[in-house]
Amino acid sequence: MPTPLSNPSDLSNVGRVGRLDLHYARQGQRTILAKSRCTSPWHLFPTMYLDDSGSAFTSFVNPSGGFVAGDQLSIHASLERDAHVVFSTPSANRVYRSLGEEARQTVTLSVASGAILEWFPEVTIPFSGSRFVQAMDVRLEKGATALIWDSLASGRMARGERWAFASLRNEIRITTASGDRLLERYEVRPDQYPVGLVSQYDYVASLFVVSDSLDPTRWPPLRGIVADVLASQGSDLLGGVTEATVPGMAVKLVARSSEVLVTVQELLWDAIRRALCGFSRPFLRRY
Amino acid sequence: MRSSAAALLDNVLSSPVDWLSINMKTISLLTGLRFIDSFFPSGGYAYSSGLEAAVQGGAVRSGDDLFLYVEDMFRQGITYREAVAVGVAHDALLGNDLQAALSVDHELHAMKLGQESRVASQQMGRQVVKIAVEPPATHAVLKNFYAAMEEERTPGHYPVALSLTLANAGWNKMETIAAFCYQTAVGFVSAGLKLLPIGQREGQHLLERWMPMLDDCASRASEAQPMTAWTPIQDIYAMRHSRLESRLFRS
Repeated sequence: MPTPLSNPSDLSNVGRVGRLDLHYARQGQRTILAKSRCTSPWHLFPTMYLDDSGSAFTSFVNPSGGFVAGDQLSIHASLERDAHVVFSTPSANRVYRSLGEEARQTVTLSVASGAILEWFPEVTIPFSGSRFVQAMDVRLEKGATALIWDSLASGRMARGERWAFASLRNEIRITTASGDRLLERYEVRPDQYPVGLVSQYDYVASLFVVSDSLDPTRWPPLRGIVADVLASQGSDLLGGVTEATVPGMAVKLVARSSEVLVTVQELLWDAIRRALCGFSRPFLRRY
Repeated sequence: MRSSAAALLDNVLSSPVDWLSINMKTISLLTGLRFIDSFFPSGGYAYSSGLEAAVQGGAVRSGDDLFLYVEDMFRQGITYREAVAVGVAHDALLGNDLQAALSVDHELHAMKLGQESRVASQQMGRQVVKIAVEPPATHAVLKNFYAAMEEERTPGHYPVALSLTLANAGWNKMETIAAFCYQTAVGFVSAGLKLLPIGQREGQHLLERWMPMLDDCASRASEAQPMTAWTPIQDIYAMRHSRLESRLFRS
C-alpha cells in the first residue's frame, strides 16, 4: 500500500491541494458533524451552536490566508435529512497575484429532504493580477432548502486596486429534485476587456434562496420584503430580486462600500431566515 | 489584370448549377429575413430587456448612454450567452442533433435569472417556431424541437428557436448569429426611441456605431463555449422592471 506522499509530486501538493469532507446528521434538536475529513491547508474547528435553531455552524479555515496560484481546494458537504447547517469563513477569501496558474476552489453540497443549508462566506477579494476559478454545485432533494450567498470585491480598494485582477471564473449551479436548475456562470477578464458599467461599484453579490417546501404563495411577499431591503440603502446600492428558475428567488446586487454590502447581507439573511425557519440570522462572533 | 470579381462573374455565368445556387441563396435569404424583420409578429416590440427600468432609474438618459449600456450588454453578456446558444443550436440542426438543441435551451433557461426576461424570450421563441414549422420544408430537428416545446419538455427560448429557424432556411452559422445580434440591437433602439429623447436618425447612428461590435460578437460567439454572462447592472435593472410603478414594456 503506498504511503502518504510516496509520489514526489505529492510533496509539492501539500498545502496546495486540499480537500474538506463534511457530513452532517440530525441528532435530537441539533445537527451534528457526523463525519469529517480534511487535508492541508484546510483546518476544521469544532462545530458551534450560535442560537436555538439547532443549526451547526461551521467555519472554513484556510490558515494560509488565501489562494495562491496553483491552489486546488475543495469542499464537499452533505446534509442528511432534517439537518441544518450554517457555513461561513472567518475572513475574506483573498486571491493572490499569479504569474500564470489559476487558483481553484470546487464546492459540492448535497442537501437531503427537510434539511436547510445556509452558505454565507465572506467576500472574495481578487488581488491585482490574480487568477481564480470557483465552481459550486448544489443538489437539493425534495423538501430541502438552500440559501446561497456569494460576493466579490473589485480588489484591494485601500491600495487603489479596483478591477485589476487578471481573470475570475465563477459558476454556481443549483439543481432541485425535479431536475430544474439555476445557473450563474460568469467570466471576468479585466486585463482583456473593461468590466463595464459595474466599474462604478466595488462589490457584486448574488443570493439564491431555493426551497420547494415553502408554500408558493409565500414567495411573492418575501420578494417584496427583499425588494424593500434593497431599496433601503439609497444610491450606495443597486439591487434586484426575481422569481428564480427553481422554486425560490434570485437576488443580484452591487454596492459601493463594504459597509453597505455587510449591512444588506445581514438584513437580507435575517428577513429570509425569519420567513423560512422562524429564526433571526445568527450572530457569527467574527469581529 | 482582371479583377477577382470579374472572374467570379464569369464563373457564375458559365454554369447553370451556379445560377441555381444563387437562386436558392436568394430564397434562403428572403426566408430568413421574414423571421428577423420587425414586421414578423414575435412580440419583441413589447419588451425592453430591463432598459425601461434603467431609464427610469437614471442609468440611461441619452443616446450615448444607450450606446454604452447596450455595448456593455453585448460585450459581456449577449456575445457569450445568447449568441453562443444561437451558434450551438445552429450546429445542432446541421448535425441532426435534437438533444444538443434541447440541452442548450435548458442551460440558457437556467442562466436567465430575471423572470420577465425568461418569459419574454420564451414567448418570442414560441412565436417564431410556430410559424417556422409550417410547410413546405421543415427539418426534423426543428419539428421535434417544436414538439418538445408543446409538450413542455423544453422552454423554447428565442435564441435557440430563431437559430433553428434560420438554419432550416439555409443560413450559415455566422449569418445566423449576426442576424440575431443585429435584431437584438434593433430591439434596443426601438425601445430607446420610445423611452428616450432620441429620434429615428440617432437610432440609425446607434446601429451604425454598433456594427463593428456586432460583427465581433458573431465571430466570438461562434467559437465560445460554455455560455457565460457578466452583466450585473443590466441583470439588476431587468429584475427591477416588474416593480416599476408605470410601465410601457413587459420587461
